Amino acid sequence: MREWKVFPFSAIVGQEKMKLGLILNAINPRLGGVLIRGEKGTAKSTAVRALASLLPEIEVVRGCAFRCEPSLPSKLCPECQAKLEKQGKLETERVKMRVIDLPINATEDRVVGTLDLEHALREGEKKFEPGVLAEANRGILYVDEVNLLDDHIVDVLLDSAAMGINTVEREGVSYSHPAEFILVGTMNPEEGELRPQLLDRFGLCVNIQTLREPEQRVEIVRRWSEYESDPEGFAEKWRAEDEDLGKRIQEAKKLLAGVEISEELLARIANISIALCVDGHRSDLVLMKSAKTRASFFRRSKVLEEDVDACIEVAFAHRMRRRPFEEMAIDSKKIEEMLNRQSTERASGRY
Amino acid sequence: MAQKYKPLIFPFSALVGQETLKIALLLNAINPGLAGVLIRGDKGTAKSTAVRALASLLPEIEEVSDCPFHCHPEDIKEMCENCLERFKAGEKLPRQKSQVRVVTLPLNATEDRLVGAIDFEYALKTGRKRFQSGILAEANRGIIYIDEVNLLEDHLVDILLDTAVCGVNIVEREGISFSHPSRYILIATMNPEEGDIRPQFLDRFGLCVSIQGINELEQRVEIAKRREAFDQDPEGFLARFKMKEEAQRERIIKAQKLLGKVKISSKLLNAIAKISLKHRVMGHRADLLLDKTARTISAFYAREEVQEVDLALACELVLTHRTRAEREEREREKTAVMGEGNNQANQFEGSETKSEREAESSGAGVEQRAELRSQSASERTAQNYPGNADDFSGRAQEAFQEKVFGVGELLPISTKEIKFARDTLKRNQSGRRTATRTSNRTGRYVRATVQRFNNDLAFDATLRASAPYQRHRQKTHLAVNIQEPDIREKIRMKKTSNLLLFAVDASGSMGTRLMSETKGAIFALLLEAYQKRDKVGLIAFRGMKAELLLPPTNSIELAKRFLEELPTGGKTPLGHGLLVAYQVLKRELNREPDLLPLLIVVTDGRANVGLDREKYYEGPQFGEIYQEIYELCALIRKEPRVRSLVIDAEEKRMGSFGRSKKLAQAMEAKYYILEEMVKDQILKTIESELK
Repeated sequence: MREWKVFPFSAIVGQEKMKLGLILNAINPRLGGVLIRGEKGTAKSTAVRALASLLPEIEVVRGCAFRCEPSLPSKLCPECQAKLEKQGKLETERVKMRVIDLPINATEDRVVGTLDLEHALREGEKKFEPGVLAEANRGILYVDEVNLLDDHIVDVLLDSAAMGINTVEREGVSYSHPAEFILVGTMNPEEGELRPQLLDRFGLCVNIQTLREPEQRVEIVRRWSEYESDPEGFAEKWRAEDEDLGKRIQEAKKLLAGVEISEELLARIANISIALCVDGHRSDLVLMKSAKTRASFFRRSKVLEEDVDACIEVAFAHRMRRRPFEEMAIDSKKIEEMLNRQSTERASGRY
Repeated sequence: MAQKYKPLIFPFSALVGQETLKIALLLNAINPGLAGVLIRGDKGTAKSTAVRALASLLPEIEEVSDCPFHCHPEDIKEMCENCLERFKAGEKLPRQKSQVRVVTLPLNATEDRLVGAIDFEYALKTGRKRFQSGILAEANRGIIYIDEVNLLEDHLVDILLDTAVCGVNIVEREGISFSHPSRYILIATMNPEEGDIRPQFLDRFGLCVSIQGINELEQRVEIAKRREAFDQDPEGFLARFKMKEEAQRERIIKAQKLLGKVKISSKLLNAIAKISLKHRVMGHRADLLLDKTARTISAFYAREEVQEVDLALACELVLTHRTRAEREEREREKTAVMGEGNNQANQFEGSETKSEREAESSGAGVEQRAELRSQSASERTAQNYPGNADDFSGRAQEAFQEKVFGVGELLPISTKEIKFARDTLKRNQSGRRTATRTSNRTGRYVRATVQRFNNDLAFDATLRASAPYQRHRQKTHLAVNIQEPDIREKIRMKKTSNLLLFAVDASGSMGTRLMSETKGAIFALLLEAYQKRDKVGLIAFRGMKAELLLPPTNSIELAKRFLEELPTGGKTPLGHGLLVAYQVLKRELNREPDLLPLLIVVTDGRANVGLDREKYYEGPQFGEIYQEIYELCALIRKEPRVRSLVIDAEEKRMGSFGRSKKLAQAMEAKYYILEEMVKDQILKTIESELK
């Protein structure tokens, strides 16, 4: 059977911010995922699937339900650990990164994992049946309409995303396993907001809108109909660009560990956080990591001011301390002023 | 089950700032008698990181190696039955040293895992009942750690409270009857923006610490640097801090040894008594805790005698969460002396507020200084929390003093006139407001029941119920033979949202002042709804008909916009307003049967346009129009899930026609007079309606 050809990432028109957010997370999953706020029909789901298909394959332990990474012994699940101790080494294979969808009516036991019914009935033994969080390990967890999910499910998702581990203590089961995934959530703000605590846990946030430029709109329709009538041909047309992007992401991943950021820029980041009155320290960390990641994407081993500035909006859009009724948007004028002030301060030697 | 997956943890000594938090945690490592710590703070302030980091610093204890409850090999008083029997029989209990355990209680834990249950596998194999221990067993002589404790399910909180009192876990379930020692300390984190925890539960924590983000540039930069270094190379980072961690561990052990010898003078003991009295703390627990805490602090600083500064810190840690009731009084007493309690990086060795230093220099007594210490701490609590309940009143007032006026046809009105006193707004929990047992299969599985409702099978409980009888039942091709009486069903709990549906009289008879007051009230409720994720809907009736301006939505921003732009003037089609309200309610209830709607009708009752809009009523014909209005009220009254509220916006100084009151009676709704509510607590009213 022919493999279903996903719409190519590079063929998506516009939405540069969303693409940036996704690319940064693909390079560095520790950014904490991205929340995409926007109306329906803005290529959110398309982009996520497109991204997954151009990402490089990963190396996993063969047969492991959690797709453990063989090269990191400290992150192996209990079964793989046991295997490693017994056999001294692990069998590996290469697989494509998965996108796991979280259905909106998912129940907790399906998300977190539960007692394996069949096994218990057949063997009379307790066994852990992995849930969505296990499947998503080392992949992308795509949560559509995250603001409509039951609160306790969102809690569980964000907990695991933050700690990289899923701890289960329920229904007779006591188990924990690695749960590191790129969390992509989408929502339509007109249908309600997420609690601020949950918002903060998303690494980046992108506000997107339907494109208004007529030319862009025409291009969208053109490309989509081309794709529908001949997915293979269309994918072929964009293959080179997609492959390039995939390679670039791979290279960036390798460069990332070696990227350096100066004290000056770290101070700049801290100043921005303070000036924008954000709660807590996540913003600093996210902005720093994003800047580094962007630098690696542009094949630089040193972070430049433009890297920091380019990431401010995606890192802070959802974090600013605000009274509930204020518009959730970065006042770009305010940032400009502040940044200008800082440059002049530096120029005058006060920095 | 296989052993647990344990990732590497950020080291305690690498945490930047937050000295008070660190000390509170270390004190508990030294002296478990301090009964744990509640850490309250904004998001992203290293609360969870710090607690997890503490685990690796904990000292070792002696325990019986094969006892699931980790009994002490010699402490007869606290031993479990099994160990006790063996001890009495003269057996030398096998011992080992191991680190104090930190057991995590996840929010979605089910009761069986917390309390323990029947060992299903064992029963299956041998046909005998055996107790399988849960978290309460594992945590005996250790620590239970709960993240976001204010979101913990009520019945789990109940269990924690129960065991706290007697230090024993008594299990009576699934045919098992068992009890075992369960003495543990609780360390928990919470974000006050999400609501508070029950007072009984609050009291369970010995110490309480409030933390905020650090705004000092260098520290912020260091935090980012360290976190990144750890993320990139955890092993390397840990190696870097190995010496410091060792040193910290040493310090704890030394302090433990010194603790028994620390002395406290009678002068300080008197001070403790006076402070407790002054703050009208409940019972004597605080006194004991102050004593213990102060001595532990001294031990930590390698002092053999408690100093004033030790007691001062103890007050800050022990009293902050115990004297809420008095905080208002103290705030009234406060003067400019208090200054800005806005010290961020709380270096406890050196941080004294202006007031304390002044008190110091003015020769104020020990109690006063220590008191001021804890006062400023709770000041900080009150002021620096964006979401603290008491603080919210000030914020809320600001919010709508700015926003309420100047829209549509309203005359600009001096903002001084409107004050919505929002007293202690007890927000229990954020997220959906009311907990209901759901009849459909949504919601969190909290426990199992023998009663049968809807075949929502609780498999684990069913298995356990069937386990003891397997030996006697016919063998099938399956390992387990399940019969009808074994079947257990799930009880699910879900926090449903409320729907606040406003039906607002926007006619000309509602004066501008009334309109702005009403809007103010609704605004304040919107703020509340935002936190609770309640849905809000807005119907306005004026002129010839009623209009559903805002269909029920979670989007408070939209609600605000529509409310601001609400034009007023025209006649009063009250009947139509009620009809539209009824239709909206029915529709929403169909969609969400577990919904709990609250209908809030704001009007002066002077209806003059009937459902048949051709007719306009005036004067004595009011009677006619009210016929149909009463019929509509009956419709609403008959809806069992709908609660209603009528707010009478009539200006009473001219005498009253009492129409709104009759309306309320017809709907069996609660009745309030807007004028009076403005002075009192309009929102408290509705708050209590929503409970």
